[in-house]
Amino acid sequence: MFIGRRTFVKGAAVSAAAAVAPQVLVRTARGADKSKVLFVSEESNPKAIAVYDKINADFKKETGIEVTMEYPGFANIAKRVATLIATGTPPEIVWYGAGQAMNLAIENQLADVGDVLKATGGTAENLRMIYKGADRSIPTSQQFTYGWYRKDLYDAKKLAAPKSWDDYLKAAKALNDPPNMYGCIIPSAETGASTLLLETMFMKNDVHWFEWNAGKKEYEVSLDKGNQKKRAVETLDYLNELHKNSPEASTYNWGELMSTYFTEKAASSYYVGSRLLDQTIANNPKIADATVPFELPKKVTDAYYLSIQGFHILEKSNVEGAKKYVTFFVKHPDVISWYHAVPLHIIPASREMLHSGKYQDNPVIQKRMDVLKFLDYIWTKGVPLYYWDGKELNPYIGLYHNENLAGWMLAMRNIKGMKSDAIVDEAAAQVRKKMKRVS
Amino acid sequence: MRGSAEQRKWVLATTAPALLFLLVIAYLPIAYAVSLSFFKKTAFNPTMKWVGLANYQFIFEEPELWNAFWRSVVFTLGAVGLQLVWGLVSALLLNRAFKGLNQVRSLFVLPYLLPSIVVALVFQWLLSQEYGVVNQVLMQTGVVTRPINFFGGLGTAMWAVIGMAGWQYGSFATLLILARLQSINPKLYEAAAVSGAGTLRAFRDVTLPNLRTTLIVIALLRGIWMFNKFDSIWLVTHGGPLKATETLPLYAYRLAFEEFDFGLAAAACTVMFLVLLVGAVIYFKLFDPTKEIEVGR
Repeated sequence: MFIGRRTFVKGAAVSAAAAVAPQVLVRTARGADKSKVLFVSEESNPKAIAVYDKINADFKKETGIEVTMEYPGFANIAKRVATLIATGTPPEIVWYGAGQAMNLAIENQLADVGDVLKATGGTAENLRMIYKGADRSIPTSQQFTYGWYRKDLYDAKKLAAPKSWDDYLKAAKALNDPPNMYGCIIPSAETGASTLLLETMFMKNDVHWFEWNAGKKEYEVSLDKGNQKKRAVETLDYLNELHKNSPEASTYNWGELMSTYFTEKAASSYYVGSRLLDQTIANNPKIADATVPFELPKKVTDAYYLSIQGFHILEKSNVEGAKKYVTFFVKHPDVISWYHAVPLHIIPASREMLHSGKYQDNPVIQKRMDVLKFLDYIWTKGVPLYYWDGKELNPYIGLYHNENLAGWMLAMRNIKGMKSDAIVDEAAAQVRKKMKRVS
Repeated sequence: MRGSAEQRKWVLATTAPALLFLLVIAYLPIAYAVSLSFFKKTAFNPTMKWVGLANYQFIFEEPELWNAFWRSVVFTLGAVGLQLVWGLVSALLLNRAFKGLNQVRSLFVLPYLLPSIVVALVFQWLLSQEYGVVNQVLMQTGVVTRPINFFGGLGTAMWAVIGMAGWQYGSFATLLILARLQSINPKLYEAAAVSGAGTLRAFRDVTLPNLRTTLIVIALLRGIWMFNKFDSIWLVTHGGPLKATETLPLYAYRLAFEEFDFGLAAAACTVMFLVLLVGAVIYFKLFDPTKEIEVGR
């Protein structure tokens, strides 16, 4: 049997149409379908998933709206959301860091959620993400970047929890005994772990990447100017001194920050939240009780790098359905089990909830009330990166934060041995160049 | 004439599915990627803005593109060189008769069959600074006093990655070279021996000339595959430390999925595509495959 040219062309056209049609149908249907909500969540802990399943089932019973979940994980969630947007099928809800969500806000992809915030009791001022005059995030939880140390080892050397930069260096030196034990961990690589350490230490030394130009009404790079540069150089040099008591660790990521600690290779580490404690309890319980939080010591300010997680509702999706769901979720009685999925790591956005008996009714929290008190103590000191440089949301933080430029700075200082002032100049130049491209 | 027309139809009908498949799977994505390189397109906004050659101008002005290109060349030459040496040596050893030959040959193929993630995890474990077997042996034998940060050291990361790729993909070269070795006419070796040639001379005058085509094919294929290699490097170093192992594919990935700039990433991919295209054209000009096959015979 021969296929004529005409038949072949027809066949090809039909095949192409068949390939494209589902895409078109999906795009059309999704916008119109008010009975479905696609929810992409960063939190993929099995206990959290069980809570989602329960709440979603209750929500369907009450509203008839079906919620489909996706759990791409921390490393892939931004890519997954980008894919969904690019294919014209944006998810209704994304639960992840407000810092990442800011990328969506500045591309005008996030709906105004002021009404949901109002309906669910509002939130603290420092947790709000306001863009173009509207709230774009419904915060559920938060995490601070802070340190963890081995109290038993510190006690043995008669050292107290570090309160100043000098204390921290002194303790790291006293406990450093490589390769068996390192005094601290200063990861120096282009990773999120390194980036958050330097960004936090910059905050502690009141270093700002940007300053607000009131005349032009926009942010300008200030890292390499005057006192900013002086303090940035000072911070890098200090971390370079600390790094001499740390594994070289130029491939460090979040997992290694925890594993190096709980395998008893380091006397102190740090993390964003309490997952390090959770992992220590799971992997090396004998040092768990001696694992105690401490403030990354201040130089000039008490500020903490604050990660805020929350619900973000995308424009061009089933916005009404999504708003109904978020309101239902936040008010659902089982939401407390969701906070208990990783106890003391998923910290409620509401201080009232933190103080509540319901939240504290958990064996891990009961056992580690010292951690809860520590969190309560540092509660008001957290600052999200996009409000660090001024009252206006800084849309440019992604230019250095997303690309782990701070991690690059640490690596250039600690691994390559470049002078701190040259690193600061280069980092500022890179941000300026990227700003030019963005604008 | 009629027969010829029917033959053309037959050829068209039988090749059309394959061509359609190629069009959808390969050519359309390539065309889309090239066209994307002329637009400003971020990951979080479906709209595209025409920017002409601005993306190319931006990446050509960046030293990062040239650095990544140079690292790709180093990685490709190093890994392919190692694979050729490893493949040649192992094929020569396996071309002898000994007990258990088939089992040993199967073992040599094993690395090539392993998924990259498995190889990456094994090498991460072997070469780990903190708990690696290699460092343990080096420390115990007194070769080093402090463990070496193989994948994390600026001076060692690229070599560690090259070593890993050389080990994993050397088996491909082993297979091809061994197959060619077994087809060399034994009379050629007999003639060489009669002429008084020793083992080395026979290798130089008989084995190598006969392997020429195979070695060139391996160098070309593995060269292209190594130049495009993403997974092996990404899994062990993510392009670090300080971009010491960031080759062109990793650079493009970073632009697309860490900086979320699809336009720039597409421009970087187009540059990579053109480099390989030029390489392939030069190869076909210098080594006409038809002639090479003739010579190989």
